[in-house]
Amino acid sequence: MFHWLEKRPFFFAVGVFIAIAFAGLVEIVPNFYKASQPVVGTTPYSTLELAGRHVYIKNSCNACHSQLIRPFKAETDRYGHYSLSGEYAYDRPFLWGSKRTGPDLMRVGNYRTTDWHENHMKDPAGVVPGSIMPKYTWMYTNLADIDTAYAEQITIKNVFAVPYNKPIPMKDGSTSVVKLADTLDGAHASALEEAKLVTADMKDQAIKDMVEAGNIPEIVAIIAYMNSLK
Amino acid sequence: MNKLVLTGIITTIVMLAATWMAVGGSKGGMNDDIVNLLAVAGAVVLVLATVFVVLKYVRQMQDDTATGTLADENWDGIGEYKNELPMGWAITFLLTMIWGVWYWFVGYPLNAYSQIGEYNEDVSAHNTKFEAQYKDITGDRLVEMGESVFLAECKVCHGLSADGIEGKAADLNHRISKEGVVHAIMNGASNLKSDFPGGMPAGLNYMFADGEIDKVAAYVAAGLPASDTEGAALFEKGTCTGCHGASGEGMAYAGPKLNGFDIATVASVLKDGKKANIGTMPAFERLNDKQIEAVGAYITSLSK
Amino acid sequence: MENRPLEYDYSVAKMFMLSTVVLGIVGMLVGVILAWQLAFPGANLFLGEALGEYTNFSRLRPLHTDAVIFGFTLSGVFATWYYVGQRVLKVSMAESKLLMFLGKLHFWLYLVGVAAVVVSLVLGITTSKEYAEFEWPIDIAIVIVWVIWGLSIFGLIGIRRERSLYISIWYYIATFLGIAMLYLFNNMEVPTYFASGGIGAWYHSVSMYAGTNDALVQWWYGHNAVAFGFTVPIVAMIYYFLPKESGQAVYSYKLSLLSFWGLMFVYLWAGGHHLLFSTVPDWMQTMGSVFSIVLILPSWGSAINMLLTMKGEWQQVASSPLIKFMVLASTFYMFSTLEGPIQAIKSVNALAHFTDWIVGHVHDGVLGWVGFMIMAALFHMAPRVFKREIYSKSMMNSQFWIQTLGVILYFTSMWIAGITQGMMWRAHDEFGNLAYSFIDTVSVLHPYFTIRAVGGTLYLVGFLMFAWNMYKTMTAGRRVEESELQNATPMAA
Ligand code: HEC
Ligand code: HEC
Ligand code: HEC
Ligand code: HEM
Ligand code: HEM
Ligand SMILES: [Ca+2]
Ligand SMILES: [Ca+2]
Ligand SMILES: [Cu+2]
Repeated sequence: MFHWLEKRPFFFAVGVFIAIAFAGLVEIVPNFYKASQPVVGTTPYSTLELAGRHVYIKNSCNACHSQLIRPFKAETDRYGHYSLSGEYAYDRPFLWGSKRTGPDLMRVGNYRTTDWHENHMKDPAGVVPGSIMPKYTWMYTNLADIDTAYAEQITIKNVFAVPYNKPIPMKDGSTSVVKLADTLDGAHASALEEAKLVTADMKDQAIKDMVEAGNIPEIVAIIAYMNSLK
Repeated sequence: MNKLVLTGIITTIVMLAATWMAVGGSKGGMNDDIVNLLAVAGAVVLVLATVFVVLKYVRQMQDDTATGTLADENWDGIGEYKNELPMGWAITFLLTMIWGVWYWFVGYPLNAYSQIGEYNEDVSAHNTKFEAQYKDITGDRLVEMGESVFLAECKVCHGLSADGIEGKAADLNHRISKEGVVHAIMNGASNLKSDFPGGMPAGLNYMFADGEIDKVAAYVAAGLPASDTEGAALFEKGTCTGCHGASGEGMAYAGPKLNGFDIATVASVLKDGKKANIGTMPAFERLNDKQIEAVGAYITSLSK
Repeated sequence: MENRPLEYDYSVAKMFMLSTVVLGIVGMLVGVILAWQLAFPGANLFLGEALGEYTNFSRLRPLHTDAVIFGFTLSGVFATWYYVGQRVLKVSMAESKLLMFLGKLHFWLYLVGVAAVVVSLVLGITTSKEYAEFEWPIDIAIVIVWVIWGLSIFGLIGIRRERSLYISIWYYIATFLGIAMLYLFNNMEVPTYFASGGIGAWYHSVSMYAGTNDALVQWWYGHNAVAFGFTVPIVAMIYYFLPKESGQAVYSYKLSLLSFWGLMFVYLWAGGHHLLFSTVPDWMQTMGSVFSIVLILPSWGSAINMLLTMKGEWQQVASSPLIKFMVLASTFYMFSTLEGPIQAIKSVNALAHFTDWIVGHVHDGVLGWVGFMIMAALFHMAPRVFKREIYSKSMMNSQFWIQTLGVILYFTSMWIAGITQGMMWRAHDEFGNLAYSFIDTVSVLHPYFTIRAVGGTLYLVGFLMFAWNMYKTMTAGRRVEESELQNATPMAA
């Protein structure tokens, strides 16, 4: 049979394809629906948070930082509750990472704060002696891309039915709504509101001034994103 | 023994020794942990198996000659023998499949194994073990335990020597700074909701005349020394005593202790976090009661 | 025409040989920079404060992986395809104008794609999925390049004279099909500019899958990108170049057959080992572990088949640096395909995952196996496509030892680093608290990071020697006669 196949490239290719395609179906299909259901308390990203997530991706923070807490005592001691599938329901793409050169950040919003990030991102070794994390100084001047974040929000709302402007059940039984503006200008305005909440806790006057003037630097967006990781 | 085998064995020994010295004896150490043992055992198997299998074939390259019936075809001058499968290979292939079935149905039984279940067991084993131990940890041992919590959890912000890294976080070697007191007087404080639900009102500065705030702040920052009678008088004038006690020793539900740290004060901060003039301190839900007690004892010990 | 040797046309092969060398230098140079940055973070600013945004570790890391995978390795695969394909199918590309055209188009479009990738990654345009970082416009370009390669494979097969397909051809076909399937599914994404009616960056997209699903698809892809990028086409190479160079017949057809079909079937199931203890269902994780262990044998089958092909020919291993490269490649292949499965066992992975031990595993595979095999293939091809003797055998020999030392330093240091780090993360002290803060587990790694950087630098030095040797062969090697080009590659002392 194999000799026969080896003389017939077409059937050979079909044979190979069947052999390799089979596993994908079994691995991927059965769990697809279930895994994408959000757990109670998981909300989609706000405009500023999403812009911050883009900054995170743009700089490949995931090259060094995971966002996946495995169910081991040592890991939950260090980072908090182990990860649940539904917590990632709005993560496109997922950012689990595959290397922990730096610590996990899945719940970093629980135990690091705005002013700490402000110091740390500018000069990690100045806060944590011996840190090998690069300095991200340009984030203090580059502006965050609010337009693209908003475009993505509209896309996922329309294409994947992500529940913006809808009540979302929270853990304490209440509901919460993540607002999505109708217009790009509206999105800029609401991102700016959020940004001001962040800069209220920051020290750098230049950053505060930029935000007052209506410009949101990347650092503010990425801090908003990290604070949302809980 | 031929040179090659010798080289193989020496390489293996050197690598294993290096691994052992670096890993086994290192700070992380084997730590009585089955997983650590397994991983290192895996590494050992890896080196041994590869070295010896390769040695076997190197021997064959040295000693055997190629034999067998050649197939009819030949591609660009490359021929092909019709030799049988190497026995060892075929048998090992079968063995791995058997192992696979075992792993699938016995090792991590389908439908009966859950990683979360395993986690829960681990956690309760850990907790049971340390609950028994925690009873006996007091005094200096408690401070020692607190230091260990501090180094793992707090030093990232407060620094190795707890001095707050040039004002980036609170200096825990002193209860509070002058600026901190002024900030509380001007802005009030409402962080420690669990233990002091009423909080401290903002704008108490109206109680003081020019320059008095500075004096009372210096008094509090200095630890409310009895010698500073002017400060004490101002402290009373500002109604501070009403909540913090006559000498700043603190009053349950009303106001925290100001004349030094104690375990309860630290615990309040860890429970609710604290946001004031320096920055924001996060709450630490993930520490257990004993760890909080211990780190409180450690911080208290710093300013003594 | 029957008995006259065919005149094969190597023009496309030559182009891809060039890009293999150039992109190899780029990719490995970036790797070396990364390694020094981890050891000495000051190196993040090696081009000064102002360019820090583009030269820091996290910007450069995807550039390294993509340059070595899609640049160096793929170029090597294409170069050898355009060489081996003609020879074992016994048909010259010059026989078909269309195939020549497709081949050249393939190369030039590929180069455009590579340029786009470099620019976009440096600018930080990435989707973050490992080994699939590219945004949709580049995805489209890649698909086109791939389709053209497919046309050229099946076109050449269509006009072949050798009826039955040689083993290497099986593996090239599988490479083509595997990557095509994987790449398409993992890159399903919605361009936000169009979906939002023209807002934001035109090149930005959002993944069709979310969270755990996205992870599943990504590692089904990621694992098999390794399979169909670093394994299958490299096996294709060794099945041709080792027997050819040594003049020996392949040891066993049965072993080739079982290894091939075994590999095809088993590989795809093993992707779950990248997701152990994650939020994918337990049964899927166990499946990943089980198939990983079973995978040892189809992998070792090819390696053993090659080692046995050298049966009785030890003197060649001792005397020919080219055979040395291939025998060591085969050995490293065995090493990493045993190491991988061991890391795929749940309890070992609990410790190894997220650590440098994985990086060590990666590099004993890519440096020892992929890198060595591609360089050997190019060494074998050079005299035949340039009609010149290899410029320097002694340089080849020193290159071999320098690089071997480099690989050993790389993976031993990463082993120790990874296992140490894994253990420190887990360690609890006598009070039941975490024994180490994270930064403690980083600081201990400094010596190992430094050793790795030295090892990597040695490997790069070896690669530069290789590039130099190829260049001199091309321009200054002694011209050789057709008759000298049967088996053992001619090389000058
Ligand atoms: C070269 C690897 C590397 C890169 C790239 C990197 N980090 Fe880090 N990161 C580290 C290391 C190591 C630490 C631990 C030492 C420290 O706190 O600085 C760390 C710590 C952190 C922490 C503190 C977490 C904690 O629990 O203490 C945050 C937050 C963080 N990084 C965010 C980022 C972000 C955001 C980016 C990308 C813009 C990034 N990092 C890129 C290596 C890196
Ligand atoms: C109504 C009761 C009340 C009065 C009056 C009051 N305090 Fe307080 N004070 C509190 C409470 C409650 C807190 C804890 C606040 C919190 O929840 O963060 C506090 C906190 C403080 C702190 C901050 C402690 C820390 O850990 O940073 C300082 C300093 C302080 N008070 C000083 C004073 C001084 C000086 C006065 C007098 C001018 C004063 N307080 C009057 C209730 C009071
Ligand atoms: C993310 C950074 C961060 C971490 C982690 C952190 N702290 Fe703090 N902590 C701060 C900052 C900032 C302040 C100062 C708040 C202020 O007064 O403005 C503070 C204040 C405190 C205070 C109050 C000091 C006072 O006199 O009012 C205590 C007590 C304290 N921290 C203890 C701890 C302990 C114990 C830990 C570890 C379990 C810890 N902190 C971890 C940032 C941090
Ligand atoms: C039998 C064959 C193999 C198996 C079962 C295997 C298994 C594994 C495992 C378990 C991991 C670690 C996953 C994690 O915990 O993060 C891994 C990672 C990796 N392996 Fe292998 N491996 C094999 C062969 C190879 C070979 C031959 C190469 C390359 C030449 C290779 C390249 C890689 C790469 C690049 C990664 C890193 C993936 C990432 O980015 O996280 N593997 N492999
Ligand atoms: C000169 C030699 C090389 C050096 C010094 C080097 C160095 C590095 C470094 C420092 C990293 C990052 C590791 C980390 O994040 O901790 C890395 C990752 C990687 N390298 Fe290399 N590299 C070299 C050659 C290669 C080659 C030739 C290939 C492939 C053919 C390759 C493939 C990879 C891959 C796939 C990863 C990602 C691993 C992962 O995510 O787990 N490298 N390399
Ligand atoms: Ca990786
Ligand atoms: Ca893509
Ligand atoms: Cu894999």
